[in-house]
Amino acid sequence: MKIAQKALFCFILAIIIIYLLFPFYWALNSSFKTEAQLQMMPATFIPRDPLSGNISFNLINYKSIVQNQEFLYGLINSSIVAISTTLLALVAGSFAGFAIGKLRFRGKQPSMYIILAMTMFPQITVLTGLFAIINALKLEPRFSMILTYMIFTLPFTTWVLATFFKSLPTSILESSQVDGATFFQTFYRILLPLTAPALVTTGLLAFIASWNEYLFALTFTTINPAARTVPVAIALFTGYIAHQEPFGEIMAAAVVVTVPIVVLVLIFQRRIIRGLTAGSVKG
Amino acid sequence: MPKLKLAIREEKTAYKLLLPAFIILIIVAIYPLGSVFYTSLTDKGFASTKETHFVGFENYKRLLSFTVKELLPKMTWGSLLDEQVVKQEIDLKTGESVHEKSTKILPREPIRYKELVQLSLFGKRYVIGATDPDFVQAIGNTLQFTIISVLFETLLGLGIALVVNSNFKGRGAMRAAMLVPWAVITVVSAQIWHWMLQSSRVGLFNTILAKFGIGGGQIAFLSEEIWQIPSMIMIDVWKTTPYMALLLLAGLQIIPMELYEAAAIDGAGKIKQFINITLPLLKPALAVALIFRTLDALRVFDLFQVILGSREYSMATYNYYQLIGNRAMGYSSAIGVIIFIIIFAFAILYIRVLGGVYSSE
Repeated sequence: MKIAQKALFCFILAIIIIYLLFPFYWALNSSFKTEAQLQMMPATFIPRDPLSGNISFNLINYKSIVQNQEFLYGLINSSIVAISTTLLALVAGSFAGFAIGKLRFRGKQPSMYIILAMTMFPQITVLTGLFAIINALKLEPRFSMILTYMIFTLPFTTWVLATFFKSLPTSILESSQVDGATFFQTFYRILLPLTAPALVTTGLLAFIASWNEYLFALTFTTINPAARTVPVAIALFTGYIAHQEPFGEIMAAAVVVTVPIVVLVLIFQRRIIRGLTAGSVKG
Repeated sequence: MPKLKLAIREEKTAYKLLLPAFIILIIVAIYPLGSVFYTSLTDKGFASTKETHFVGFENYKRLLSFTVKELLPKMTWGSLLDEQVVKQEIDLKTGESVHEKSTKILPREPIRYKELVQLSLFGKRYVIGATDPDFVQAIGNTLQFTIISVLFETLLGLGIALVVNSNFKGRGAMRAAMLVPWAVITVVSAQIWHWMLQSSRVGLFNTILAKFGIGGGQIAFLSEEIWQIPSMIMIDVWKTTPYMALLLLAGLQIIPMELYEAAAIDGAGKIKQFINITLPLLKPALAVALIFRTLDALRVFDLFQVILGSREYSMATYNYYQLIGNRAMGYSSAIGVIIFIIIFAFAILYIRVLGGVYSSE
């Protein structure tokens, strides 16, 4: 019985992993193929030589993206923008989330809805208005991206963190008040550490959302190509042959861009584990 | 300290804490959002020098006017026993009676109506006309896409979250692997799927299906209408299930272990524990995850734009088409406002049904 259960668990795990990772594996596979290998029919699961059918990995796509200045600048720009966006959204979001989740004040519901309403328009609809503001204030493109990404990251961090603050027992708040701590002290000394799993989770999701954003980045960097982020740089890849999409290169770039995020998750995922909160929350 | 003073202090702290969020909101949201509402009432063009007029709700009327008209059977002159009679024209191929063309019956003034759909009811044939059938179609596509993909993402996400939440070797690596689809840039992942869904055996799906003798390696997933929305759903479920899983995982982590221990002592089985402890305590996290997932799905843009272009629209890509392709800024702003209203309705529905942090208590 125990063995059967374990086997079933492993089987489910295997299916999940294949489902989640296969398309990425396909990108990895394609990134090692030349144009001729990509056009092979039927498609091969490992890069193979079109004529002999032998396994043949090709690094040509990686060579060309490493030599691509725009792509390398893109990596730096994306890091600056995504990290700053995440930090700003987490700070402002955890403040607002704490107020909404734990404190009593008039106008709580309207504030929540107003914050959520910020993100209810499609990006394309608010694009022209945002562009007008950026032009009027003469904002630097990277700074404009950080600021405008708040539209989709701030409501998210606020709402998620409010939910988690609320789920913490109120007794913590009350007992620290008895000890003479201010609300703010209670917030960052006691409640903030307790919500670490939620902070890391929302932080990661907000980071990835801003790392991947395309439409705003494309629009705000048209005047200043040096500020382009990775998605824009990749979209503007042009192949050796004019007008042909360099699929292999795009896949290589996708691999290079995704790996740092996976490493980031590996570093931070320990924080998502219960260990941190166990024992301290007795509701 | 008197109770009242404490309450005032609490309220003041709350306003101070909300300040940064509202300052950001004022800078980036007030003007763009306000101008969308205003522009939607004008005939403003995009990047044009044409004079702008205030037109009231004209754009909304043009987007969402419907009419139902009965289609009369088409009559022809036939001869029966040397007598001239009027009889109903019959399609020789299908054996069904032929009706007059809908373009003849649908109103043209002041706005032209186009055929949305025809249906038969009690032996009569009706045509539903809409002033902008493409937009109505886009709403239908988006709602279908949203409801089905969010449903699958929630179920799969919950399953994955429960698996990853249990203790096993390598769960750290599993947590990282789980996020990969969400981490791949949308512009790129859309292309990966585009490639995998190619209509020949260059693509993965046709290669595999052909091996099982299905479709002969010729299925046009992205150009045949019946495959388009299901393909979009499949890609979206793959891409955003991790998002759902991670949010639900964080929700699971906050449920105190002691509750399960106590339940186990009381003799409650795993399923009973799930229904009585996990689900109710997960509800707030589930509500917030559902709200943001639905919101994103209703605004879906990149995926439809990259893969389907103008072959089939979502609400947001239709908005884009009207703005960039048709340069109709007033009209496209009205589309934005309608999307906003639909999203708001969904948000309120979730909050009413699932409650959570936002319910007033």
